[in-house]
Amino acid sequence: MTVHEGLGNRTVLWVIAVLGLLVIYAPPLYLLAISFNPALQPGLPSLSALSLDWYMALPREKALIGALQQSFLVAFVTAVFATFLSLLAALGYIELRLGRTTWFLAVLLPMFVPGVVQGLALSAVFTRIGVKASMITVISGHLLWAMPFAFIVILTSFAAVRQNVLLAAADLGAGRWRQFVDITLPLIRPGLVSAFIFSFLLSLNEFTRAFYLAGRQNTLPVVLFSKMNSGASPVIYAMSGAIFITSVLTVVALAMYNLVREKRMN
Amino acid sequence: MNRRPLALIASPLLAILMLGVVPLVLVLVWSFWTWDPATYWIKPDLSLAGYGAILDAGRWTVIVSTLLKAAGTAALCVVLAFPIAYAVHFLSGPRLQTLLLALITIPFFTSYLIRAFSWRLVLGRTGIVNTTLQHLGLTQTPVDWLLFSNFAVVVGLVASYLPFAIFPLVLAFRRVSPDLMAAAQDLGAGFWRAVVTVLVPLTMSGIFAGFLFVFVMVAGSSTEVQMLGGAGASIVSVMINDVMRVANYPLAFAISTVVLAVIFALVLIGNAAFGLASLFGEEER
Repeated sequence: MTVHEGLGNRTVLWVIAVLGLLVIYAPPLYLLAISFNPALQPGLPSLSALSLDWYMALPREKALIGALQQSFLVAFVTAVFATFLSLLAALGYIELRLGRTTWFLAVLLPMFVPGVVQGLALSAVFTRIGVKASMITVISGHLLWAMPFAFIVILTSFAAVRQNVLLAAADLGAGRWRQFVDITLPLIRPGLVSAFIFSFLLSLNEFTRAFYLAGRQNTLPVVLFSKMNSGASPVIYAMSGAIFITSVLTVVALAMYNLVREKRMN
Repeated sequence: MNRRPLALIASPLLAILMLGVVPLVLVLVWSFWTWDPATYWIKPDLSLAGYGAILDAGRWTVIVSTLLKAAGTAALCVVLAFPIAYAVHFLSGPRLQTLLLALITIPFFTSYLIRAFSWRLVLGRTGIVNTTLQHLGLTQTPVDWLLFSNFAVVVGLVASYLPFAIFPLVLAFRRVSPDLMAAAQDLGAGFWRAVVTVLVPLTMSGIFAGFLFVFVMVAGSSTEVQMLGGAGASIVSVMINDVMRVANYPLAFAISTVVLAVIFALVLIGNAAFGLASLFGEEER
Protein backbone atom coordinates (compact mmCIF):
# COMPACT_ATOMS: atom_id res chain seq x y z
CA MET A 1 0.00 0.00 0.00
CA THR A 2 1.30 3.41 -0.80
CA VAL A 3 0.19 6.91 0.06
CA HIS A 4 -1.07 9.04 -2.82
CA GLU A 5 -0.29 12.68 -2.26
CA GLY A 6 -1.28 13.71 -5.75
CA LEU A 7 0.91 15.84 -8.00
CA GLY A 8 -0.47 19.16 -6.73
CA ASN A 9 0.14 18.31 -3.09
CA ARG A 10 3.60 16.96 -3.83
CA THR A 11 4.46 20.21 -5.54
CA VAL A 12 3.20 22.24 -2.58
CA LEU A 13 5.24 20.12 -0.15
CA TRP A 14 8.42 20.43 -2.21
CA VAL A 15 8.00 24.17 -2.71
CA ILE A 16 7.76 24.67 1.06
CA ALA A 17 10.77 22.40 1.61
CA VAL A 18 12.89 24.32 -0.90
CA LEU A 19 11.76 27.67 0.53
CA GLY A 20 12.67 26.48 4.03
CA LEU A 21 16.18 25.53 2.92
CA LEU A 22 16.53 28.83 1.04
CA VAL A 23 15.59 30.81 4.15
CA ILE A 24 18.27 28.92 6.09
CA TYR A 25 21.05 28.99 3.51
CA ALA A 26 20.59 31.93 1.17
CA PRO A 27 21.65 34.74 3.55
CA PRO A 28 24.92 33.21 4.79
CA LEU A 29 25.81 32.20 1.22
CA TYR A 30 25.06 35.75 0.10
CA LEU A 31 27.41 37.00 2.83
CA LEU A 32 30.02 34.53 1.62
CA ALA A 33 29.69 35.87 -1.93
CA ILE A 34 30.01 39.45 -0.69
CA SER A 35 33.22 38.56 1.14
CA PHE A 36 34.86 38.00 -2.27
CA ASN A 37 33.87 41.47 -3.46
CA PRO A 38 36.84 43.86 -3.26
CA ALA A 39 34.53 46.90 -3.10
CA LEU A 40 33.87 48.56 0.25
CA GLN A 41 30.10 48.65 -0.30
CA PRO A 42 28.49 45.25 0.34
CA GLY A 43 27.11 43.81 -2.87
CA LEU A 44 27.44 40.76 -5.08
CA PRO A 45 30.82 40.78 -6.83
CA SER A 46 30.94 40.47 -10.59
CA LEU A 47 32.55 37.19 -11.59
CA SER A 48 35.53 38.99 -13.14
CA ALA A 49 36.26 40.94 -9.97
CA LEU A 50 36.38 38.13 -7.41
CA SER A 51 39.11 38.84 -4.94
CA LEU A 52 40.59 37.49 -1.75
CA ASP A 53 41.56 40.99 -0.56
CA TRP A 54 39.52 40.85 2.65
CA TYR A 55 40.80 37.38 3.45
CA MET A 56 44.40 38.56 2.96
CA ALA A 57 43.66 41.36 5.41
CA LEU A 58 42.55 38.91 8.11
CA PRO A 59 45.98 38.12 9.59
CA ARG A 60 46.49 41.82 10.32
CA GLU A 61 43.40 41.89 12.55
CA LYS A 62 45.10 41.14 15.85
CA ALA A 63 41.88 41.19 17.90
CA LEU A 64 40.18 38.66 15.61
CA ILE A 65 43.18 36.36 15.47
CA GLY A 66 43.64 36.39 19.24
CA ALA A 67 39.97 35.63 19.69
CA LEU A 68 40.14 32.86 17.09
CA GLN A 69 43.02 31.18 18.92
CA GLN A 70 41.14 31.44 22.19
CA SER A 71 38.02 29.99 20.58
CA PHE A 72 39.90 27.03 19.12
CA LEU A 73 41.47 26.24 22.48
CA VAL A 74 38.14 26.52 24.31
CA ALA A 75 36.39 24.43 21.65
CA PHE A 76 39.06 21.72 21.77
CA VAL A 77 38.97 21.30 25.54
CA THR A 78 35.17 21.49 25.55
CA ALA A 79 34.99 18.77 22.89
CA VAL A 80 37.37 16.46 24.79
CA PHE A 81 35.38 16.70 28.01
CA ALA A 82 31.95 16.67 26.36
CA THR A 83 32.79 13.52 24.38
CA PHE A 84 34.27 11.71 27.35
CA LEU A 85 31.48 12.62 29.78
CA SER A 86 28.78 11.85 27.20
CA LEU A 87 30.35 8.44 26.53
CA LEU A 88 30.15 7.67 30.25
CA ALA A 89 26.60 9.02 30.33
CA ALA A 90 25.61 6.79 27.37
CA LEU A 91 27.32 3.68 28.81
CA GLY A 92 25.48 4.29 32.07
CA TYR A 93 22.23 4.79 30.21
CA ILE A 94 22.61 1.44 28.39
CA GLU A 95 23.15 -0.41 31.67
CA LEU A 96 20.55 1.41 33.73
CA ARG A 97 17.37 -0.52 34.39
CA LEU A 98 15.48 1.82 36.67
CA GLY A 99 15.43 5.53 36.03
CA ARG A 100 16.48 5.33 32.40
CA THR A 101 14.11 8.03 31.20
CA THR A 102 14.98 10.21 34.16
CA TRP A 103 18.67 9.98 33.33
CA PHE A 104 17.98 10.66 29.66
CA LEU A 105 16.04 13.82 30.50
CA ALA A 106 18.66 14.87 33.06
CA VAL A 107 21.40 14.84 30.41
CA LEU A 108 19.14 16.72 28.00
CA LEU A 109 18.11 19.25 30.66
CA PRO A 110 20.76 21.89 29.83
CA MET A 111 19.31 22.05 26.30
CA PHE A 112 16.17 23.58 27.77
CA VAL A 113 17.95 26.29 29.73
CA PRO A 114 18.29 29.56 27.79
CA GLY A 115 21.93 30.50 27.24
CA VAL A 116 21.59 33.86 28.92
CA VAL A 117 20.16 32.32 32.11
CA GLN A 118 22.84 29.62 32.20
CA GLY A 119 25.61 32.13 31.52
CA LEU A 120 24.36 34.55 34.14
CA ALA A 121 23.87 31.81 36.75
CA LEU A 122 27.32 30.32 36.20
CA SER A 123 29.08 33.68 36.17
CA ALA A 124 27.34 34.73 39.42
CA VAL A 125 28.38 31.46 41.10
CA PHE A 126 31.96 31.72 39.82
CA THR A 127 32.22 35.30 41.04
CA ARG A 128 30.89 34.27 44.47
CA ILE A 129 33.40 31.47 44.96
CA GLY A 130 36.21 33.66 43.70
CA VAL A 131 36.90 32.03 40.33
CA LYS A 132 38.00 34.71 37.88
CA ALA A 133 36.39 34.73 34.45
CA SER A 134 38.82 32.85 32.23
CA MET A 135 39.08 30.11 29.67
CA ILE A 136 37.97 27.61 32.31
CA THR A 137 34.72 29.45 33.02
CA VAL A 138 33.84 29.59 29.31
CA ILE A 139 34.61 25.89 28.95
CA SER A 140 32.31 25.08 31.90
CA GLY A 141 29.47 26.92 30.20
CA HIS A 142 30.12 25.36 26.81
CA LEU A 143 30.48 21.85 28.25
CA LEU A 144 26.86 21.91 29.39
CA TRP A 145 25.70 23.26 26.03
CA ALA A 146 27.55 20.58 24.04
CA MET A 147 26.84 17.53 26.21
CA PRO A 148 23.19 16.89 25.23
CA PHE A 149 24.11 16.88 21.51
CA ALA A 150 27.16 14.67 22.08
CA PHE A 151 25.09 12.33 24.25
CA ILE A 152 22.37 11.84 21.62
CA VAL A 153 24.94 11.23 18.87
CA ILE A 154 26.85 8.67 20.94
CA LEU A 155 23.66 6.99 22.12
CA THR A 156 22.51 6.62 18.51
CA SER A 157 25.81 4.97 17.59
CA PHE A 158 25.21 2.34 20.28
CA ALA A 159 22.56 0.83 17.99
CA ALA A 160 25.50 -0.89 16.23
CA VAL A 161 26.47 -2.72 19.42
CA ARG A 162 24.42 -5.89 19.54
CA GLN A 163 23.90 -7.43 22.94
CA ASN A 164 24.50 -11.02 21.77
CA VAL A 165 27.97 -10.14 20.47
CA LEU A 166 28.89 -8.88 23.92
CA LEU A 167 27.36 -12.02 25.47
CA ALA A 168 29.40 -14.19 23.10
CA ALA A 169 32.54 -12.34 24.11
CA ALA A 170 31.64 -12.82 27.77
CA ASP A 171 31.15 -16.57 27.13
CA LEU A 172 34.62 -16.70 25.64
CA GLY A 173 36.00 -15.22 28.84
CA ALA A 174 36.29 -11.50 28.02
CA GLY A 175 35.85 -9.25 31.01
CA ARG A 176 33.79 -6.05 30.89
CA TRP A 177 36.79 -3.86 30.05
CA ARG A 178 37.99 -6.24 27.33
CA GLN A 179 34.47 -6.28 25.82
CA PHE A 180 34.41 -2.52 25.83
CA VAL A 181 37.82 -2.04 24.23
CA ASP A 182 37.56 -4.85 21.64
CA ILE A 183 33.89 -4.68 20.67
CA THR A 184 31.99 -1.61 21.85
CA LEU A 185 34.68 0.99 21.22
CA PRO A 186 35.40 0.13 17.55
CA LEU A 187 31.68 -0.03 16.82
CA ILE A 188 30.84 3.34 18.31
CA ARG A 189 33.95 5.12 17.06
CA PRO A 190 32.04 7.07 14.35
CA GLY A 191 29.68 8.29 17.06
CA LEU A 192 32.59 9.43 19.20
CA VAL A 193 34.21 11.25 16.27
CA SER A 194 30.91 12.94 15.40
CA ALA A 195 30.28 13.89 19.03
CA PHE A 196 33.77 15.41 19.28
CA ILE A 197 33.41 17.46 16.10
CA PHE A 198 29.85 18.58 16.89
CA SER A 199 30.90 19.67 20.40
CA PHE A 200 33.85 21.52 18.92
CA LEU A 201 31.66 23.43 16.47
CA LEU A 202 28.95 24.16 19.05
CA SER A 203 31.55 25.70 21.35
CA LEU A 204 33.31 27.55 18.54
CA ASN A 205 30.09 29.28 17.49
CA GLU A 206 28.51 29.84 20.91
CA PHE A 207 27.96 33.48 21.80
CA THR A 208 25.56 34.10 24.71
CA ARG A 209 27.26 32.02 27.39
CA ALA A 210 30.73 33.17 26.34
CA PHE A 211 29.48 36.76 26.59
CA TYR A 212 28.98 36.26 30.34
CA LEU A 213 31.81 33.86 31.07
CA ALA A 214 34.77 35.03 28.96
CA GLY A 215 37.67 36.62 30.77
CA ARG A 216 40.09 39.19 29.38
CA GLN A 217 40.53 37.31 26.13
CA ASN A 218 37.11 37.11 24.47
CA THR A 219 36.14 34.26 22.19
CA LEU A 220 35.63 34.87 18.49
CA PRO A 221 31.81 35.28 18.46
CA VAL A 222 32.02 37.88 21.24
CA VAL A 223 34.62 39.91 19.32
CA LEU A 224 32.73 39.46 16.04
CA PHE A 225 29.53 40.68 17.70
CA SER A 226 31.05 43.95 18.84
CA LYS A 227 32.70 44.49 15.46
CA MET A 228 29.45 43.80 13.60
CA ASN A 229 27.75 46.50 15.63
CA SER A 230 30.45 49.13 15.24
CA GLY A 231 30.27 49.84 11.53
CA ALA A 232 31.13 46.60 9.80
CA SER A 233 34.37 46.60 7.86
CA PRO A 234 34.39 44.07 5.03
CA VAL A 235 37.01 42.09 6.95
CA ILE A 236 34.06 40.97 9.13
CA TYR A 237 32.48 39.43 6.03
CA ALA A 238 35.67 37.50 5.34
CA MET A 239 35.96 36.23 8.92
CA SER A 240 32.25 35.33 9.07
CA GLY A 241 32.41 33.70 5.66
CA ALA A 242 35.49 31.71 6.62
CA ILE A 243 33.96 30.48 9.89
CA PHE A 244 30.65 29.61 8.22
CA ILE A 245 32.16 27.70 5.33
CA THR A 246 34.61 25.88 7.62
CA SER A 247 31.75 24.75 9.86
CA VAL A 248 29.74 23.56 6.86
CA LEU A 249 32.65 21.70 5.24
CA THR A 250 33.54 20.02 8.54
CA VAL A 251 30.02 18.60 8.93
CA VAL A 252 29.99 17.54 5.26
CA ALA A 253 33.36 15.81 5.59
CA LEU A 254 32.10 14.03 8.68
CA ALA A 255 28.96 12.86 6.87
CA MET A 256 31.06 11.56 3.95
CA TYR A 257 33.39 9.73 6.33
CA ASN A 258 30.44 8.04 8.03
CA LEU A 259 28.84 7.13 4.68
CA VAL A 260 32.03 5.61 3.30
CA ARG A 261 32.55 3.68 6.52
CA GLU A 262 29.01 2.32 6.40
CA LYS A 263 29.41 1.27 2.76
CA ARG A 264 32.59 -0.61 3.57
CA MET A 265 30.94 -2.48 6.43
CA ASN A 266 28.00 -3.65 4.31
CA MET B 1 20.71 -2.67 42.65
CA ASN B 2 23.66 -2.93 40.34
CA ARG B 3 26.36 -0.38 41.16
CA ARG B 4 28.00 -0.29 37.74
CA PRO B 5 25.65 2.15 35.98
CA LEU B 6 25.89 4.46 38.95
CA ALA B 7 29.68 4.45 38.77
CA LEU B 8 29.46 5.21 35.05
CA ILE B 9 27.06 8.12 35.36
CA ALA B 10 28.79 9.60 38.43
CA SER B 11 31.04 12.08 36.63
CA PRO B 12 28.58 13.32 33.99
CA LEU B 13 25.99 13.60 36.76
CA LEU B 14 28.42 15.65 38.83
CA ALA B 15 29.04 17.97 35.86
CA ILE B 16 25.30 18.47 35.29
CA LEU B 17 24.70 19.11 38.98
CA MET B 18 27.63 21.46 39.57
CA LEU B 19 27.45 23.42 36.33
CA GLY B 20 23.73 23.22 35.64
CA VAL B 21 21.40 22.41 38.50
CA VAL B 22 23.19 24.05 41.43
CA PRO B 23 23.68 27.46 39.74
CA LEU B 24 20.04 27.48 38.64
CA VAL B 25 18.79 26.60 42.14
CA LEU B 26 21.01 29.35 43.54
CA VAL B 27 19.53 31.82 41.06
CA LEU B 28 16.07 30.80 42.25
CA VAL B 29 17.06 31.31 45.90
CA TRP B 30 18.99 34.51 45.26
CA SER B 31 16.07 36.04 43.40
CA PHE B 32 14.36 36.36 46.83
CA TRP B 33 17.31 38.09 48.52
CA THR B 34 17.85 41.80 49.08
CA TRP B 35 20.24 44.04 47.19
CA ASP B 36 23.06 45.25 49.45
CA PRO B 37 24.69 48.48 48.23
CA ALA B 38 27.55 48.08 50.72
CA THR B 39 28.91 44.92 49.04
CA TYR B 40 27.54 45.29 45.51
CA TRP B 41 25.96 41.93 46.09
CA ILE B 42 22.87 40.63 47.86
CA LYS B 43 22.20 39.65 51.46
CA PRO B 44 19.97 36.85 52.73
CA ASP B 45 16.97 38.93 53.75
CA LEU B 46 13.77 37.69 52.17
CA SER B 47 12.56 40.24 49.66
CA LEU B 48 10.28 40.32 46.68
CA ALA B 49 11.90 43.49 45.37
CA GLY B 50 13.28 41.67 42.33
CA TYR B 51 9.84 40.45 41.36
CA GLY B 52 8.33 43.84 42.20
CA ALA B 53 10.81 45.49 39.83
CA ILE B 54 9.56 43.24 37.01
CA LEU B 55 6.24 45.05 37.29
CA ASP B 56 7.98 48.45 37.11
CA ALA B 57 8.88 50.25 33.94
CA GLY B 58 6.96 47.83 31.74
CA ARG B 59 9.50 45.06 32.20
CA TRP B 60 6.73 42.49 32.40
CA THR B 61 5.61 43.51 28.93
CA VAL B 62 9.03 42.49 27.61
CA ILE B 63 8.65 39.11 29.27
CA VAL B 64 5.14 38.65 27.90
CA SER B 65 6.13 39.78 24.41
CA THR B 66 9.16 37.47 24.49
CA LEU B 67 6.98 34.51 25.42
CA LEU B 68 4.46 35.45 22.72
CA LYS B 69 7.26 35.87 20.19
CA ALA B 70 8.65 32.49 21.24
CA ALA B 71 5.24 30.81 20.95
CA GLY B 72 4.48 32.50 17.61
CA THR B 73 7.86 31.65 16.10
CA ALA B 74 7.64 28.10 17.40
CA ALA B 75 4.16 27.66 15.89
CA LEU B 76 5.33 29.12 12.57
CA CYS B 77 8.39 26.85 12.57
CA VAL B 78 6.27 23.76 13.25
CA VAL B 79 3.84 24.66 10.46
CA LEU B 80 6.77 25.05 8.03
CA ALA B 81 8.63 22.05 9.42
CA PHE B 82 5.73 19.62 8.97
CA PRO B 83 5.67 19.72 5.14
CA ILE B 84 9.47 19.89 5.03
CA ALA B 85 9.81 16.82 7.24
CA TYR B 86 7.11 15.12 5.15
CA ALA B 87 9.05 15.78 1.95
CA VAL B 88 12.26 14.56 3.56
CA HIS B 89 10.81 11.39 5.02
CA PHE B 90 8.02 10.32 2.65
CA LEU B 91 8.87 11.87 -0.72
CA SER B 92 12.65 11.41 -0.95
CA GLY B 93 14.67 8.45 -2.15
CA PRO B 94 17.48 7.26 0.12
CA ARG B 95 20.17 9.46 -1.49
CA LEU B 96 18.12 12.63 -1.55
CA GLN B 97 17.02 11.95 2.00
CA THR B 98 20.61 11.69 3.20
CA LEU B 99 21.45 14.94 1.44
CA LEU B 100 18.42 16.78 2.86
CA LEU B 101 19.07 15.47 6.37
CA ALA B 102 22.66 16.70 6.10
CA LEU B 103 21.42 20.13 4.98
CA ILE B 104 19.07 20.26 7.96
CA THR B 105 21.79 19.12 10.38
CA ILE B 106 24.46 21.60 9.30
CA PRO B 107 22.75 24.76 10.67
CA PHE B 108 22.93 23.39 14.23
CA PHE B 109 26.68 23.70 14.04
CA THR B 110 27.05 27.04 12.33
CA SER B 111 27.06 30.41 14.04
CA TYR B 112 23.66 31.95 14.85
CA LEU B 113 25.43 35.27 15.11
CA ILE B 114 26.76 35.08 11.56
CA ARG B 115 23.45 33.83 10.19
CA ALA B 116 21.52 36.67 11.86
CA PHE B 117 24.12 39.18 10.67
CA SER B 118 23.85 37.94 7.09
CA TRP B 119 20.14 38.87 7.06
CA ARG B 120 21.23 42.48 7.52
CA LEU B 121 22.96 42.30 4.17
CA VAL B 122 19.92 40.70 2.55
CA LEU B 123 17.25 42.99 3.99
CA GLY B 124 19.16 46.29 4.22
CA ARG B 125 18.48 49.39 2.12
CA THR B 126 21.09 48.30 -0.39
CA GLY B 127 20.48 44.61 0.23
CA ILE B 128 19.53 42.11 -2.42
CA VAL B 129 15.79 42.21 -1.68
CA ASN B 130 15.56 45.97 -2.05
CA THR B 131 17.77 46.14 -5.13
CA THR B 132 15.71 43.39 -6.75
CA LEU B 133 12.42 45.13 -5.91
CA GLN B 134 13.73 48.38 -7.38
CA HIS B 135 15.12 46.59 -10.38
CA LEU B 136 11.72 45.06 -11.07
CA GLY B 137 10.18 48.48 -10.70
CA LEU B 138 7.95 47.36 -7.84
CA THR B 139 9.16 50.22 -5.68
CA GLN B 140 11.04 53.44 -6.37
CA THR B 141 12.68 53.95 -2.98
CA PRO B 142 14.10 51.16 -0.80
CA VAL B 143 11.54 49.51 1.50
CA ASP B 144 12.49 50.49 5.05
CA TRP B 145 10.47 48.10 7.18
CA LEU B 146 12.42 45.09 5.88
CA LEU B 147 15.27 45.63 8.32
CA PHE B 148 15.41 46.78 11.96
CA SER B 149 11.81 45.75 12.43
CA ASN B 150 9.73 42.98 13.97
CA PHE B 151 9.45 41.50 10.50
CA ALA B 152 13.24 41.13 10.28
CA VAL B 153 13.41 39.64 13.78
CA VAL B 154 10.79 36.99 13.04
CA VAL B 155 12.41 36.10 9.71
CA GLY B 156 15.80 35.83 11.42
CA LEU B 157 14.37 33.70 14.24
CA VAL B 158 12.59 31.31 11.87
CA ALA B 159 15.72 30.97 9.74
CA SER B 160 17.83 30.29 12.82
CA TYR B 161 15.67 27.77 14.60
CA LEU B 162 13.62 26.03 11.87
CA PRO B 163 15.91 22.95 11.93
CA PHE B 164 15.05 22.46 15.62
CA ALA B 165 11.43 21.86 14.55
CA ILE B 166 12.21 19.72 11.48
CA PHE B 167 14.38 17.17 13.22
CA PRO B 168 11.97 15.89 15.88
CA LEU B 169 9.28 15.63 13.19
CA VAL B 170 11.47 13.48 10.95
CA LEU B 171 12.17 11.25 13.96
CA ALA B 172 8.45 11.07 14.70
CA PHE B 173 7.54 10.22 11.05
CA ARG B 174 10.00 7.32 11.17
CA ARG B 175 7.81 5.63 13.77
CA VAL B 176 4.66 5.89 11.64
CA SER B 177 3.83 3.05 9.28
CA PRO B 178 2.88 4.47 5.85
CA ASP B 179 0.24 1.71 5.69
CA LEU B 180 -1.88 3.68 8.14
CA MET B 181 -1.99 6.70 5.85
CA ALA B 182 -2.68 4.46 2.85
CA ALA B 183 -5.46 2.70 4.74
CA ALA B 184 -7.10 6.03 5.53
CA GLN B 185 -6.98 6.90 1.83
CA ASP B 186 -8.39 3.51 0.90
CA LEU B 187 -11.32 4.28 3.14
CA GLY B 188 -11.90 7.44 1.17
CA ALA B 189 -10.02 10.15 3.03
CA GLY B 190 -8.31 12.77 0.89
CA PHE B 191 -4.58 13.35 1.41
CA TRP B 192 -4.92 16.32 3.78
CA ARG B 193 -7.69 14.64 5.69
CA ALA B 194 -5.46 11.60 6.19
CA VAL B 195 -2.66 13.90 7.35
CA VAL B 196 -4.88 15.67 9.88
CA THR B 197 -6.69 12.62 11.23
CA VAL B 198 -3.89 10.03 11.09
CA LEU B 199 -0.42 11.51 10.75
CA VAL B 200 -0.78 14.52 13.06
CA PRO B 201 -2.21 12.59 16.03
CA LEU B 202 0.48 9.91 15.65
CA THR B 203 3.29 12.45 15.62
CA MET B 204 2.17 14.78 18.42
CA SER B 205 5.35 14.00 20.40
CA GLY B 206 7.46 15.24 17.47
CA ILE B 207 5.29 18.28 16.90
CA PHE B 208 5.47 19.21 20.55
CA ALA B 209 9.21 18.55 20.84
CA GLY B 210 9.83 20.78 17.82
CA PHE B 211 7.63 23.52 19.26
CA LEU B 212 9.40 23.26 22.59
CA PHE B 213 12.93 23.39 21.16
CA VAL B 214 12.14 26.48 19.09
CA PHE B 215 10.31 28.07 22.03
CA VAL B 216 13.32 27.61 24.33
CA MET B 217 15.79 28.85 21.72
CA VAL B 218 13.75 31.99 21.01
CA ALA B 219 13.07 32.67 24.70
CA GLY B 220 16.86 32.70 25.22
CA SER B 221 17.84 34.36 21.95
CA SER B 222 19.46 37.76 21.82
CA THR B 223 21.47 38.05 18.61
CA GLU B 224 18.48 38.11 16.24
CA VAL B 225 16.87 41.02 18.11
CA GLN B 226 20.16 42.87 18.52
CA MET B 227 21.16 42.40 14.88
CA LEU B 228 17.78 42.80 13.19
CA GLY B 229 15.39 44.51 15.63
CA GLY B 230 14.43 48.18 15.60
CA ALA B 231 15.63 50.79 18.08
CA GLY B 232 13.14 49.94 20.84
CA ALA B 233 13.11 46.21 20.25
CA SER B 234 13.73 44.10 23.28
CA ILE B 235 13.67 40.53 24.38
CA VAL B 236 14.35 38.88 27.73
CA SER B 237 18.05 38.21 27.06
CA VAL B 238 18.69 41.80 26.05
CA MET B 239 16.78 43.03 29.11
CA ILE B 240 18.86 40.80 31.39
CA ASN B 241 22.04 42.15 29.77
CA ASP B 242 20.84 45.71 30.45
CA VAL B 243 19.87 44.92 34.03
CA MET B 244 23.26 43.30 34.65
CA ARG B 245 25.05 46.36 33.32
CA VAL B 246 23.95 48.11 36.53
CA ALA B 247 24.56 44.92 38.54
CA ASN B 248 20.93 44.62 39.62
CA TYR B 249 21.28 40.98 40.61
CA PRO B 250 17.89 40.40 42.29
CA LEU B 251 16.03 41.69 39.24
CA ALA B 252 18.16 39.69 36.77
CA PHE B 253 17.66 36.56 38.88
CA ALA B 254 13.91 37.19 39.19
CA ILE B 255 13.52 37.54 35.40
CA SER B 256 15.59 34.38 34.88
CA THR B 257 13.45 32.48 37.38
CA VAL B 258 10.19 33.50 35.71
CA VAL B 259 11.46 32.45 32.27
CA LEU B 260 12.83 29.15 33.59
CA ALA B 261 9.57 28.44 35.40
CA VAL B 262 7.58 28.87 32.19
CA ILE B 263 9.96 26.66 30.20
CA PHE B 264 10.12 23.88 32.77
CA ALA B 265 6.35 23.91 33.17
CA LEU B 266 6.09 23.42 29.39
CA VAL B 267 8.70 20.64 29.42
CA LEU B 268 6.98 18.78 32.26
CA ILE B 269 3.50 19.13 30.79
CA GLY B 270 4.79 18.10 27.37
CA ASN B 271 6.65 15.12 28.72
CA ALA B 272 3.63 13.95 30.68
CA ALA B 273 1.33 14.38 27.69
CA PHE B 274 3.54 13.24 24.81
CA GLY B 275 6.55 11.37 26.24
CA LEU B 276 9.46 13.32 24.82
CA ALA B 277 11.97 10.55 25.55
CA SER B 278 10.05 8.17 23.29
CA LEU B 279 11.02 10.30 20.29
CA PHE B 280 14.55 9.03 20.39
CA GLY B 281 13.39 5.44 20.41
CA GLU B 282 14.71 4.93 23.88
CA GLU B 283 11.70 4.20 26.03
CA GLU B 284 11.91 2.09 29.16
CA ARG B 285 12.49 -1.39 27.89
